[in-house]
Amino acid sequence: MQERGVKYERLDERHLALQLQANGPSTSSGHGLAEEYDLIWCRAISHSRALYALSILNSWGIRTVNSYQVVLTCGDKVSTSLALIQHNVPTPRTVVALSAEAALQAIEEMGYPVVLKPAVGSWGRLLSKVNDRDTAEAVLNHKATLGGPLHSVFYIQEYVDKPGRDIRTLVVGDEVVYAMYRHSAHWITNTARGGEALPCPLSPEIEELSLAAAQAVGGGILAVDLMETADDRLLVNEVNHTPEFHGAMEAVDVDIAGKMADYVLQLVGWSGSPWSGGQESLSTIRPSGHLTNSGEGLC
Amino acid sequence: MRVGVLCSRVRVEEKLIFQALCDRGVDGERIDVNTTALGLSEGVNGYDVVLVRCLSHSRALYASKLLGDNGQRVVNVYDVIATSGDKLVTSLALAKRGIPTPRTRVAFTPQTALEVIEQMGYPVVLKPLNGSWGRLLAKINDRDAAETILEHKHTLGGYHHSIFYIQEYIDKPGRDIRSFVVGGEVIAAIYRHAPHWITNTARGGEATACPITPEIECISRAAAEAVGGGVVAVDVLEAQDGRLLVSEVNHTPEFRNSIAPTGVDIAARIVDYALEVAVMEPGR
Repeated sequence: MQERGVKYERLDERHLALQLQANGPSTSSGHGLAEEYDLIWCRAISHSRALYALSILNSWGIRTVNSYQVVLTCGDKVSTSLALIQHNVPTPRTVVALSAEAALQAIEEMGYPVVLKPAVGSWGRLLSKVNDRDTAEAVLNHKATLGGPLHSVFYIQEYVDKPGRDIRTLVVGDEVVYAMYRHSAHWITNTARGGEALPCPLSPEIEELSLAAAQAVGGGILAVDLMETADDRLLVNEVNHTPEFHGAMEAVDVDIAGKMADYVLQLVGWSGSPWSGGQESLSTIRPSGHLTNSGEGLC
Repeated sequence: MRVGVLCSRVRVEEKLIFQALCDRGVDGERIDVNTTALGLSEGVNGYDVVLVRCLSHSRALYASKLLGDNGQRVVNVYDVIATSGDKLVTSLALAKRGIPTPRTRVAFTPQTALEVIEQMGYPVVLKPLNGSWGRLLAKINDRDAAETILEHKHTLGGYHHSIFYIQEYIDKPGRDIRSFVVGGEVIAAIYRHAPHWITNTARGGEATACPITPEIECISRAAAEAVGGGVVAVDVLEAQDGRLLVSEVNHTPEFRNSIAPTGVDIAARIVDYALEVAVMEPGR
């Protein structure tokens, strides 16, 4: 943002109290958010914070990246799967069951191994590879007993036997900015869990699927997780609405933050010449409770 | 003679206990734990003995403590409930007396628990320290299962779910043994048959009579004594090599499914024991 001569401010979502009646709260300068900012770029780590902040901001007519609808769809694996399937994007076979008993039956019918995932969650947390009935019973039981109501929405997916890696791509608008492999001896490949990022050639197939997946959830700045099956098909596994990319920065030679910034600026008609300032000045806001490595370049 | 029965829900067991009291011409009174408040230096007045039959372990634990410390005779006493209500404390009490029990280790983080499991070898059983009716028991057959169950306990459960109680899996012959020990005497025993490795009758295990062999009698009495006596049910596993192992001791046993197969009036035996306690000399 700085390099592009754009005015921006960080909004810490922890300090936001959004008055719903006021149609936009006052900021420190006394203006409403809608007058103050041309666009708000949401980089909140917490899915719930992002979701509700965007819901309110969008309802006030404030432009955001990503939009509330996109975050709503990507933040919930059931919604993501439905969107992908509706847009004919190949994705692993998935069953949703609403009780532990129905889930056990569905798992037995699918055959082992299967993967159980919380409908909401990231960084590979609480993923279960279920290899037999004893495990299915125990995992379902623990979710139903110890978890909140959302943990009794059982998202059951065929286990895809990956070649020790999966593929993550970053889609910014209608461009695939990079693709990388995440190598891991463990079936959970998240770099946050020790998966190693290596460059991946951007084949036409990967490009096409990534764009289709991003389109399916509504488009914007999105990370798409793809899996290679044993019979050489590509399946879209997940779409992430607030991608971290510090892992990718070591693997790919792309100015990721710059690409993202250009996309955001293009959305509000930024031509590239320095703005005259005042009321027309563009500010992007990055609400964030914590500064992550990926975010620091933007602040 | 006035006997109080402290409980919330009156299950089949409590009805049978009231009937047995009535048969003996004794006033049995239900003390509703939901509407009872206990002070630090006053108990419930006028009872010669109070049978603690709360469904909830925590209620039984604290009620027996409050009553007992105020000089009220109770069955079971606090120490029995405190020991047998916690699988880890039970295991220690059993081990201390040399009573055979499955190999058990305890870890306090998922990482260490995973290491312990890998060292012990699969399958293992993970159990919550508190809990009954076979709830949240997990048979862990491989590392994928270990990783995810440990993570679920740690992430979703309260702090006590991160005290990982890890036990070798005993390959039972499709059944285990539950014996009822009342006042130091083994009054009845059943087999609990189930195709599932969890044999609780509450989960569909089928009860049949089990002859009280000298071995079963010996290990059951020893286990009951180890947790402090009173009225308890002892769960005994038969290992492949013929050894008997004590797996758990239960302080407020349900027994409705054990009466018909054994022909023993378990409620009557419990009541007779409570009446003995009621007239016991102090200090015994």
